[in-house]
Amino acid sequence: MLLSYIVKRIFHAILVVIVISLIVFFSIRLTGDPVAIMFGAGEPSQEAIDQLTAELGLDQPLHIQYGLFMKGLLTFDLGESFRSGIPVMTLIAERVWPTMLLAFGGMVVALLIAFPVGIISAIKRDTFLDFGGRVFSLIGISFPNFWLGIMLILIFAVNLQWLPASGFEGFKYLILPSITLGLILSGVLARLVRSSMLEVLNQQYIRTAESKGISKWVVILKHAFRNALLPTTTFIGLQFGALLGGTVIIEQVFAWPGIGRLIIDAINQRDYPVVQGGVVFLALVMVVVNLIVDLSYSLIDPRIKAGKGK
Amino acid sequence: MTESVLQVKELKLGISNGKHKIPIVNGVSFNLNKGETLGIVGESGCGKSLTSLALMGLLPPGIEWQDGDIKITEQSMKGVSHRVWRSVRGQKVAMIFQEPMSSLNPVFTIGNQIVEMIQSHNKMPKEEAKQHAIHMLKTLGIPRAEAVFNEYPHQLSGGMRQRVMIAMALSCNPDILIADEPTTALDVTIQAQILELMKDLQQKMDMSIILITHDLGVVAEMCDRVIVMYAGEIVEQSTVVELFDNPKHPYTKGLLASLPKIEERKEYLSSIKGVVPTAGNMPGGCRFAPRCTARHEKCDVKPVLRNYNDQSMVQCWLYSDN
Repeated sequence: MLLSYIVKRIFHAILVVIVISLIVFFSIRLTGDPVAIMFGAGEPSQEAIDQLTAELGLDQPLHIQYGLFMKGLLTFDLGESFRSGIPVMTLIAERVWPTMLLAFGGMVVALLIAFPVGIISAIKRDTFLDFGGRVFSLIGISFPNFWLGIMLILIFAVNLQWLPASGFEGFKYLILPSITLGLILSGVLARLVRSSMLEVLNQQYIRTAESKGISKWVVILKHAFRNALLPTTTFIGLQFGALLGGTVIIEQVFAWPGIGRLIIDAINQRDYPVVQGGVVFLALVMVVVNLIVDLSYSLIDPRIKAGKGK
Repeated sequence: MTESVLQVKELKLGISNGKHKIPIVNGVSFNLNKGETLGIVGESGCGKSLTSLALMGLLPPGIEWQDGDIKITEQSMKGVSHRVWRSVRGQKVAMIFQEPMSSLNPVFTIGNQIVEMIQSHNKMPKEEAKQHAIHMLKTLGIPRAEAVFNEYPHQLSGGMRQRVMIAMALSCNPDILIADEPTTALDVTIQAQILELMKDLQQKMDMSIILITHDLGVVAEMCDRVIVMYAGEIVEQSTVVELFDNPKHPYTKGLLASLPKIEERKEYLSSIKGVVPTAGNMPGGCRFAPRCTARHEKCDVKPVLRNYNDQSMVQCWLYSDN
């Protein structure tokens, strides 16, 4: 049962990758000719241009180019960077770790803030605490992340000089970008936790739990929270995409050597293979994360069996 | 004299609207004796569920305890701390609810939910608590109790879930069991089984039951005494035989008249005209007067609940000498 479900999901993943690859393949070619910028300011001869175009394989018809890209994908060969000649797989492998670390750090910060804020907002509904929590959420939702990043750099790196402003040379470097990423996400997440908790707290089984004479915190953290976790988990899975999107910008702000910056630099240089490889890789990560989230439902709620539909 | 396990005196519960207190339950007094089953009947919104929640200290947000007292096994509960309430819940007073489908937490096993309750009131090792839980499940006639212990609520039928609820409620040997419409959501055949079980366990455990229902059939089956509530007040209180043989209050008469009888052929069942007035708009005199067929000039003044005979009390001018 579970196996056929996973097979179905892998098939699904392949479809997603094909669609994404088509989109990125054609859209990057709309940005212009890479050969033109590779010569810089010089006036190359037509011969030189033709030679370089042929070397890069860009003289082939589009469908052949796409076919080669897909064939490479099947053998985990994403080609080589137009710029550096380094295999794209190598470039991605170098950058995966920092990006994952940043996404993970952001998620941890988001959860550490959103769970307590959301829970307290819900149980202290319509009090000053709830009001504060809701204002916090709204601020989190409304702030642009690059602006927040710059402000944090200004305060903690430039003025107070507590933390480094950019780069990636250790744990200290992770703090500011993680907080930037996590704060933004925690706004939406806290709102969701609050509303899920409010819904659950109205359920009959919460009254049952209260009638048993167990402590209030056991009722809230065990009986209510576990049930409120389901919609929250779905949301976290979906937000992982936004989180990866967020890292692209945050990496830029904090000069973080991740995949996001790799892709941005590659776009600026019209480095087709790197852009294609990077984007398809991020899409794959999204698919895998969502699969893990779906599988985790059955751990949270025994009524849901993976593969039996929800 | 019989031992009293619960005394409710002039209990007022309601909402507060700025300066004005609007009572929803308006001065309710009654006693519950050891081993007795007391029925509370009335239409929805008459305050019967709210009264029962007050007995657990579980009033919904916004509803306040305005006046009066509740004594549970001689202990006054007025203004006591959360901690005291917690020790009362489950141990002295336990409660089962109308919807067995939604009364158990869907994400924890049956065993987990019962053991949690046992361990919160009794210091005992997990294994012992587990054995006790399984014993309770067996007492409630649940087949394959050991397996059910590890199952989730959604794997059981409605009747089985209500048995689980009762097993859990009785697991700490409470003095009082409050059953709020315990069989309303169940099939008729299952209803009878559950009621029979409750009666049986009541005798074994020497427990008092408060049965909240709008089903007079269930009252006749189960109760020793009955309280009839209307618009937040007790309008009649009597032994079950007296209530059915000789109902006094026009509202009680109306309730009984609305029951279909097997020996009668009627095209329409009779009903009580009008609706229950809302909490803020109670008539100044008798609250039932606007719907009453026996209304007269005295009814503009509020009647009090007084003894009619040694078996019953009624709050109506028809039975008052002055």
